[in-house]
Amino acid sequence: MSTTKQQPHQSTDDPRVTLDRDLGVFEPIPPYPTRTEREAEFYTLADGEMLINMGPQHPSTHGVLRVVLKLDGEKVVDLDPVLGYLHRGVEKLCENADYHQAICYTDPLEYVSALFNEWAPVMAFEKLLDVQVPRRAEYIRVLSGELNRIASHALFMGWMALDLGGLTPILWSFIERDEIVDMLAALTGQRMLFNYFRIGGVNGDLNHEFMSRLGDWMSRATEQIDNNMGLLNENEIFVRRMRGLGTIDTATALRMVMSGPNLRATGVPFDVRRAHPYSVYPELEFDIPTRSEGDCLARYLLRLDEVRQSIRIIDQCLHQMPDGPVMAKLPRLLRPRPGRAYAAVEGPRGQYATYAVSDGTDQPFRMRIHDPSFIHLQAVGVMMPGHLLADTMAIMASLDPIMGGVDK
Amino acid sequence: MDRAFKARLETRFGATLTGPVRQRHDETEMRIGAGDVVPVLTALHDEPDLHFEFLADLAGVDTGEVMQVVYHLWSETTPDWLRVIADGLSREDPRVPSATFLWKGAEWMEREAYDMFGIIFEGNRDLRRIYMPPDYASFPLRKDFFLPDDAARSPGGGVRPMERTQAPSNVPTTALVRRGGA
Repeated sequence: MSTTKQQPHQSTDDPRVTLDRDLGVFEPIPPYPTRTEREAEFYTLADGEMLINMGPQHPSTHGVLRVVLKLDGEKVVDLDPVLGYLHRGVEKLCENADYHQAICYTDPLEYVSALFNEWAPVMAFEKLLDVQVPRRAEYIRVLSGELNRIASHALFMGWMALDLGGLTPILWSFIERDEIVDMLAALTGQRMLFNYFRIGGVNGDLNHEFMSRLGDWMSRATEQIDNNMGLLNENEIFVRRMRGLGTIDTATALRMVMSGPNLRATGVPFDVRRAHPYSVYPELEFDIPTRSEGDCLARYLLRLDEVRQSIRIIDQCLHQMPDGPVMAKLPRLLRPRPGRAYAAVEGPRGQYATYAVSDGTDQPFRMRIHDPSFIHLQAVGVMMPGHLLADTMAIMASLDPIMGGVDK
Repeated sequence: MDRAFKARLETRFGATLTGPVRQRHDETEMRIGAGDVVPVLTALHDEPDLHFEFLADLAGVDTGEVMQVVYHLWSETTPDWLRVIADGLSREDPRVPSATFLWKGAEWMEREAYDMFGIIFEGNRDLRRIYMPPDYASFPLRKDFFLPDDAARSPGGGVRPMERTQAPSNVPTTALVRRGGA
């Protein structure tokens, strides 16, 4: 805390406010007049309540997230997430890039499942251009996408335990994830931000190294996942901590427009792969696991069920993979006719979608990216009140938000 | 494409539609005025033969001439995505009723549309900036946006077209706004 007297200075938050106190002195939050009804409500403290700041650099916020918590003792009364620390303006960047270039900007959004970030815009552009994607390319997309889903869920499992204070599972799940990531690196040339899906197909055909690694992994995948599951599912401390934590019911989940595993954990079998089929998913057999509890444990177990289904899909893809080209014939410079297209995929976190508007030039006129992490982080505000401060991380981790996607 | 669904929409919302119901690939699109957002969304959400209970997306669009708010909805009653375009919002003072009375989760999406386009969602309890800093003055995704505030400090200022600090002086301002087919 500084003791030297400062000149009066303008607040960085609100230019109308001049602060004449020492810079080092802790300011009450917010230092400016409240702007909205909700903000006024949140920043008005009842007797015994206090505000505490978590983040932006907190080890368990999965990125750069700041949360202002309103506490009564150790109980969370309300919270106000403050976003924007990772905002890169991807939508604006895409408007200033041509259709091929736009795809690589979307890669770092949800950086642990980058293939899905490419998939939705690519599908939207294909709709704008009326391109028919070769069937082999569709199968390769599904195959690599499901691998990426497993990698993402494996990481989720590790993070979940890490946020509860267990250090071992993340080391185990990284073994799983590293194998898949190396496999995808052999296929796409990149470990995380693949830039593999192209408008009209994929960048390259399956190669020998990828296939041999995949075959090797598939032979022991189920066993390995059962092993990993045993580490946590049979751990009484973990299960009792997670059960009944952050419960959300079906109606509220739909009102909060949640999707993906977080919605299915409340009992709604909504999965874009079945609800609005795309690619070759109608030809593949798989179940949509659901659970009815809607708490952290349900969300955690549901993702493990999904991993099993993904392995089933990969197995079918390998058996049904047709021969043929992996790219449609397209000109280098794409100028779709003016129009609008919406495409959604089921990512590991839920419905990931793109709305693209074309004005007939070679750049998208408007490209909207709908990210499930963003939506789910909002639902923390509904789940959190009444829980203890230490449960904030557990609840947030069970929703699996990726700040790269939240902040776009 | 669900042809029967198009006919159903036309009979149900005939008077409120401001443009033809269009269909392409797996999407059905209807246009309404900003004033009809509440009754139309309520009908789409509540009526059992429509029953659009999942708000897939909410986005703002600046066409260069007008502002739009675009809702994407999903229902079990049709295999199509339904796109509802609230059209014809003025660029000077875009106002539209909030959808938070049906979907509480639309709150942040509306905050994002406000942050990026300056669209005012009447009835949203928490309409403040979400990505940009609170003292930020302009709306980055508008078509007349020239990154005026940080480009001056950027090493690419004046070189890269995206980071021009202002419009070239010899061109009429109206010519600089990219106008689209939306």
